Amino acid sequence: MATDRKAEVTWQGDLMSGNGSIDPVTSGAIGGLEVSWPARAEEPGGKTSPEELIAAAHATCFSMALSHGLAQAGHPPEELKTSATVTFQPGEGITKIALDVAGRVPGIDAGAFQQAADGAKQNCPVSKALTGVPEISLTARLES
Amino acid sequence: MPRVQREANVTWEGNVARGSGAITAGTGAFDELPYSLATRIERADGKTSPEELLAAAHAACFAMSVASELTSAGTPPEHLDITATVTLDQVEDGSHRIVSSELLARARVTGIDAAGFERLAQAASEGCTLSKLIEASAKVTVNARLEGGTDGD
Repeated sequence: MATDRKAEVTWQGDLMSGNGSIDPVTSGAIGGLEVSWPARAEEPGGKTSPEELIAAAHATCFSMALSHGLAQAGHPPEELKTSATVTFQPGEGITKIALDVAGRVPGIDAGAFQQAADGAKQNCPVSKALTGVPEISLTARLES
Repeated sequence: MPRVQREANVTWEGNVARGSGAITAGTGAFDELPYSLATRIERADGKTSPEELLAAAHAACFAMSVASELTSAGTPPEHLDITATVTLDQVEDGSHRIVSSELLARARVTGIDAAGFERLAQAASEGCTLSKLIEASAKVTVNARLEGGTDGD
């Protein structure tokens, strides 16, 4: 079954001095977020950006895929903490995404956790949609 | 221009079917947004998802590109309404894939005709970093529509 998720952005003015608002989205969960070019390319000043939203999309997708992989291997996680850092080079595009995950997973060793994390990085739908990013790195560690 | 980094943090608890997570933006623009598998692939029920965040990213990226193209052409927009619809589907091997992102640009601009706006919208998608990335594995479509300036919105 296909699932659609939609987001609308209203923009006023030119690129440099104009601004936009992300509203609505399908779920209503992130309505009213403001975006602008200076906030995207310089200091964010509390505003989100396409790259931050990609970081959020990738971190959420990766975490779900990893919890699935761990559970399938018989080790459902108690907790996963994931961060994604997206590097944007204006004029060039997204050049790197760095994923970092810390997991509390009973009964698993570091090697198996790393393997599951590698699998999630390969297979989560957002990773597959972003295969054109020149570098996607991953660090994974277990916490007791 | 110097490179820019943006970060998001996610906490996930439990297995995929019954667990849940929360998403926080590095900039503070959103904080502790909940998400889960059921609301990702079935009814959203007020919760965001990776695909919705991708749609928001793509729409915001494309909006900036369209504004830039129109400005370069000497016809800066008065008002743009941009939507991105991202579709997640189950593919033959049973896994889920993002199969498409559909872009729609509606604009109030003076001094440009429909065909000219359509050309600029296509060029804007080609210049949007996310369109280029998504196109490597999924279909990106662009629709463009000029709107009259009299509807007052």
